[in-house]
Parts: sequence; structure tokens; C-alpha cells
Amino acid sequence: MTVNTNQGFWKKATGITLTAVMGVSLLAGCSSDSKENAANGGKATEGSSAKRVTLKVEVFDRGNSPAPQTITNNFLSKLVQKNFGDPNNIDVQYVPIQRSEEVTKLNVLMASDSDVPDIVFTYDSSVFYRYAGQGGLTDVGKLLDEYGPNLKKFIGDETLAFGQLDGKQFSIPGKRAITGRYSSYIRQDWLDKLSLPVPKTTDELYTTLKAFKEKDPGKLGSKNIPMGMALAPAQFETLIYSFIKPISGDLTYSQRYELPLHEGFKDAMQFMNKLYNEGLISKDFGLDKDKTQLAKDIQNGNTGYWSEDVDAQFYKDGTMDNLYKNVPGSKVTPVDVYTNAKVDNKYIKSRYASNGMYIMIPKSSKRAVEAIKYLDWMSTGNNLIDIYNGVEGENYDMVDGIPVVKENVSQEFADRLFNGGDMAIISNGKNLGDQATNEKAWVMGFPKNNQEMLKQSIAIANTDTVGPIVFGKPIEGEAQYGTTLTDKLDVIIVKTTMAKPDQFEAVYEQEMKDFMSLGGTKLKEELEQAVKELPAK
Amino acid sequence: MSKASYLRRYWQLYALLALPIAYFVIFRYGPMYGVQIAFKDFNLFQGIGGSAWIGFDAFREVFGMREFYTTLRNTFMLNFLDLIVSFPAPIILAIMLYEIRSVWFKKISQTLLYIPHFISWVIIGGIVYQLFGNQSGMVNEVLVGLGLDPVPFLTEKNPWLITYLFTGVWQSAGWGTILYLAALTGVNRELFEAAEVDGATRLKKIRYITLPSIKPTIITLLILNLGKMVSIGFDRPYVIGNTTVREYSDVLSTFVYRIGLESGQYTQATVIGLFQAVVGLVFILGSNYISKKTTGDGII
Repeated sequence: MTVNTNQGFWKKATGITLTAVMGVSLLAGCSSDSKENAANGGKATEGSSAKRVTLKVEVFDRGNSPAPQTITNNFLSKLVQKNFGDPNNIDVQYVPIQRSEEVTKLNVLMASDSDVPDIVFTYDSSVFYRYAGQGGLTDVGKLLDEYGPNLKKFIGDETLAFGQLDGKQFSIPGKRAITGRYSSYIRQDWLDKLSLPVPKTTDELYTTLKAFKEKDPGKLGSKNIPMGMALAPAQFETLIYSFIKPISGDLTYSQRYELPLHEGFKDAMQFMNKLYNEGLISKDFGLDKDKTQLAKDIQNGNTGYWSEDVDAQFYKDGTMDNLYKNVPGSKVTPVDVYTNAKVDNKYIKSRYASNGMYIMIPKSSKRAVEAIKYLDWMSTGNNLIDIYNGVEGENYDMVDGIPVVKENVSQEFADRLFNGGDMAIISNGKNLGDQATNEKAWVMGFPKNNQEMLKQSIAIANTDTVGPIVFGKPIEGEAQYGTTLTDKLDVIIVKTTMAKPDQFEAVYEQEMKDFMSLGGTKLKEELEQAVKELPAK
Repeated sequence: MSKASYLRRYWQLYALLALPIAYFVIFRYGPMYGVQIAFKDFNLFQGIGGSAWIGFDAFREVFGMREFYTTLRNTFMLNFLDLIVSFPAPIILAIMLYEIRSVWFKKISQTLLYIPHFISWVIIGGIVYQLFGNQSGMVNEVLVGLGLDPVPFLTEKNPWLITYLFTGVWQSAGWGTILYLAALTGVNRELFEAAEVDGATRLKKIRYITLPSIKPTIITLLILNLGKMVSIGFDRPYVIGNTTVREYSDVLSTFVYRIGLESGQYTQATVIGLFQAVVGLVFILGSNYISKKTTGDGII
């Protein structure tokens, strides 16, 4: 008898196991096909009278949530729930996506339409065009008219145009408050020690760097780095832009990997090669893609001259504060030195377009209306200011219409705002009015001791800028070759810079040939055609 | 015994087997459903079923990419070098550990040798950069201090290859000794005693007793390694590689990551994955066949 029960159990167990296994594997295989929105369905059915729904919103996770807050449950998420969610009978739920893996994670989420948030975003235009082209996004044109009048006004028609494809509004581009990007800096105390003037042109910079190298004003020996360099845009773009001829007036191709298609790119690489071979730039720049080594060298006082994102160094306990602490007597001056011989020796540098990230509502989302309402709410009243600055009277005071951040607030208050910039998706930077007001508001958010230098940096970042051409349609070659060429650009820069001077020509020729054959040629033809088709101004 | 009574008698053992079988069905066979992406113009929003068939178009496109051949060459090159350098390392290490007479010393060395295996590649990458950087690396600082020229460990082809290979040995050799040591515990001690009586030296004992007794293990692992020639882990080349040596550090796995996950060309990425699987199968069957012919030992 016992034997029989055992056998029966065994048969049953096998049956159950196999069924479960097959079921699971089928589910795993088909999950991308299922059109059911489980999460929403569950919520919508509870309580028939009050139809409370869940709105899922993507949020960048930078791993910097101060305890006890988390990226999905924090001061700002509660603020949103209280002021937007509860009055509208909506549960706002945040879906964290790790910042550094944003696009990869988003691809996975978009493929599984049961988990995808109702609001997603990306900075990468080719990702937006791909989703739109494959028919995965909601056309929000009508919804905006109906539910988002404030939002529409806030963003403005000019910026909204960035989110259109074939006349359909497939995304809502965030609005960028400040378009200046980069500034450069020099160690004033090194100049003073050598009785040198502040350089004003590329040639003068070269002479200064030479002096930094030979006279070693910081007494650093082998640690001396006359010019800080990294394999990152803020460092090489500033230099390259000062050698290239923009495509038309103050506009040029928008993507970084399109720089090699400009006249003058070779001269930029030649200059880099000279700097490298004469030992004027950091030897390990090719390994430093995330600028950690660069920042370390600057903070330790080893670097004489460098370029950086305009705001990057001025945060509390940031690079600048650390340098002053580590090297007593050090002094830094923001400078504008790269002159462009092809554009009347102007200080040509790149600027952002007026849009920020592309905010998108997946086609599978059943909460498109609520999503627009959420974004519209964000653009009304004081909401955006509060998201960026916290509670009035506790975190900031309004002075002449500009929120001024209070110094020395308690840690608890300061911790409220760790994700302010990431929550305010419709606004990249503090949008209060015109650019000058925005800049003023931005500066006010920094520690007092750095505000003056940041102001000078912004002024430099806004001088002689060149912006991206807006074609109003996707460039096929960008979607197709973008990733490959981005990678190739890094290789070109590293290879040509590190080549021996007498081999520069050969290396440059070889690398450019590669670049063109990897898609550069097709991209170039398409871009040139697109430029021709642009409506005359 | 009949089959049914066998099952009845050992049902607990079969129940234990259910888990590994479930693992293979769910994680190895289930995903094969997705292989069809290679033959489809995969649209993220229409899913696998909804995308249109395109036959071998994607294969033609991938085989026309120059990057594909560079990464394939690098995959073979790095794996082949790894086979030469990293494959013998655990064998030598295992024999050395086996020969150690002092128990406490043996235990401590084993533990120390295992540790690197548990460090993630991301962290190893950080350590490598700190040690071998040109300007700020500790090793080069010492070299410069001694009046020598710095060695571009990370930024030039050959020095980089050496860095890559020896980081691999450092990370995995200790852990790799486990299988060999396990095989060695089965060796009859009397063999050694008999050899000693016959006046065999230590090296002779290693050559005629130790090595032959782990030969089947060596062959099994060698065949498995040959089967992996065309597939390569993602972490190590991605973390140790950098832009300056991209021509040599870019391998199939990093390539798949770039075009598949970063730029969303899933069809092409699946093509490469399928290609790797097919070539891997050919390699493993081929090396098994050769091994059976020459040594009589095989795994299938």
C-alpha cells in the first residue's frame, strides 16, 4: 500500500513539475506578446465607486538616496502624491532606472509592455526616433490640447517641434533652461609664480603650457600635468570646436561623432598630437572616460589648465572646494582661450539645443491622459520651483521672483532635494523665464563662495556658441551607425593623439578611412542632402 | 529490477534531479524560442510573434560588417592565448599544492589562491588601473623612480595582452585547482610509496603518477575549453580593455552588447549569438572526436 501511494505521489509530482516548468517557459517565451496590463488591471478593479488608478513614472536612480529616503519613496514623491495624486485619485508610482544603464534598461522595459512605465524618457534622439518609427509611442498631440494647455505653454512651440516625427507629436521634449555647456580654467597662482599673463589665444595657451611644463611652478616633478585631458566631451569637444568650420553660420551637425565630417578636424587632432608628444596633456587620458582621474589630478593641484562642464566643479565639497582645501594658496581663473582661425578667431564652442530629454508615453500605456495631467500639473503654479528647491521658508526664500537657496539648513531639509533635477523631467535646469533669469536662479543654488566663479564660467560658456541644426526628421544614418561611430570617434582621438609625430599622417589617414567605411560616408551624404533640403532662412 | 521499481525505490534521488532539469528547461531550452529573432525584422512593440520574417538577410548584413571579423579574430586570439597561458596554470598550481607536506601552509595558500575568484571583474579592473596606469599607476611610479622608462601596460598592444592574460591567471588559477585536487585525492598513496621504494625522485613521481592520474580531468576540461573558443565572457575584455587597445580588446560579447543592448539592433545581436552557438558546437564535437581518436578519452 505504501508503495502504491509513493508511486502515485511520484506520478503526480512529475506531472505538476512538468506542467509548472512548461508553463513558466511558455510564459518566459511569450511575455513580450501578451497584451494584458496586469498591474493596471489589478488596481483599477479595487473599489468600484472610486476608480483609483496607478500612474507609473520612470525616474533615474543615481544610487544617492539619503537614508531613510529611497528613490521610490522620498520627500518629493510624497509631495507629488499629496498635491497631484490624491486630488486626482491617482497613485503615482516611481519606477527606478539606473542612470548609467538608462538606454539598455529602457529597451528591456519597452519590450515587455506589462512592466513599462506610463512615462519614460531618454536624452538620446536616436532612441526616440527608433521607438517612434517602430510604432511604440502614443501620439500626444490631441491629448496635449485637451489636458495639457499649461504644459504646452511652458515648453513652447519651438521646443515641442523636437518631439515630432512626420508631423505627429510622439514625445514631449523637456525644456532646457541654459544652453551654455563648457568653460575652461587655469591655475592663476601658477601664472603669477611665473609672471605670465592670462593666455588669450590658442597660441598663447601653447606657450603657457610649455612654460608650465618646463618651469614646473607647482614643484610636482613627474606628477605635473600642464593641461588636464580626458576622453570625455567636456575636454575634447572644447578643443575640437575651436578648429572646425561650422556647417552654416552658428549652426552645425548635432551629434558628437559627426565632428570628423567637419573641415578642420584634422588640425584639431594634429594639435592634440603635438600636446601629447610634448608631454603637455595627461598621459592616461585615453583610459579616463568618466573623468575621475582628471578630477583627482585637479583636486590634488597637479593640473595647470583644463576644460569642464560649466557647473561641474562648483557643487558643495566639489572639485573646486577640494582643490582649495588640498593646496593652500591655489587660485583658479575661468578663461576663454581656444580661438578658431576658421571663424575670425572667435572663441567657437558648442551649445545645447533648447530641448532637454524626450518624454514619451508608450503606446501600450492605458494612462496616457493621467500622464499628460501629471506633466501639466508639474508646469503649473509653484510646483516646478518646489520640486527643485524644496519648501519655501525652509529650503529657500523668494527674492525678486528667484528662489534663493538657504545656507546651513539642517541635513533633513537638505536631503529633501537629492532627486530634484531628476523629478522635474519637463525642465532641464531651473526654468523661470528668460535665459538670464534662469542663469541667475541657477547660480543662486550653488554655495556662496563659488557663485562668482560660476557666473564667469557661464559668461564664457555663452560666448560665440555654435548650436545643432534641427532637421525635423530623423537622420537614418544616425540611428544605424551612431553607436559604432561614437565608439570610433574615441578611437580616432586616442590613436591620432598618441601616434609618434612622424606617423601622425599615416595613422590619421587610416583611422579616417575606417571611420568613413563604418558608415561615415553614408552619414555624410545624408547630412549634406538634409542640409540642402533645409528651408532657407 | 524493473524500471518502475527502480523509480519507486530511488524516487527521492529523482526528485532531486527535477531541479536541475527545471533549470535547463527554463533557462537553457526556453530561451531558444527567441532564436527565431535572428530570422525576423524584430520590432520591440510587436513582439517576437508579430515581427516579419526576413530569412537570412540579417546574416548577410552581419557577415558583411568589418567589425564582426575584427571581434571574431580578437575572440579567437584572446581565447587561444588564454588556453596557452591560463589553462596549464591551475594544473601546475594543483601539483605544487599537492606536493606541499605542511598541512597548515597548504590550507592557507589554498584560501589565498581562491580569494581572487570571488572579486568581481569591475573591482579587479579598478585595481588594474590603479596599478598599471602610465602616469599614476603604482608599478610605473616605481619604475620611473628607479630611473627606468614607464611601460604602457594598458595602452599598447603587447603589454596590454600580457596584462590581460596575467590578470586572468591571477583571478582564476587558484579556483581552477579545485577539480584537479579533487581528482588527486583519489590517487592511491601506495603508488607513491612503491615508487619511492623503486627510488623514484619527486619529479619522476609527478611525471609517472600524478600527471597520468589527472589526465582524464585535463582532457575533459580541455575539450570544454575548446568548445568555448568562440564564446568569451563579457566582463573581462570589457573591464580590462579600453579605447586605446580597442582593436584587440573588442570581442564578440562586447560587440553584441553594443549593437544589441545599446543600440537596440536585436536581430543582428541574435544572429551573432546563434553563430557563436553553432561554431561552439562544431568545436566541441571536433575536439571530442580528435581526443577519442588519439587518447581514447572523450566526454560524449
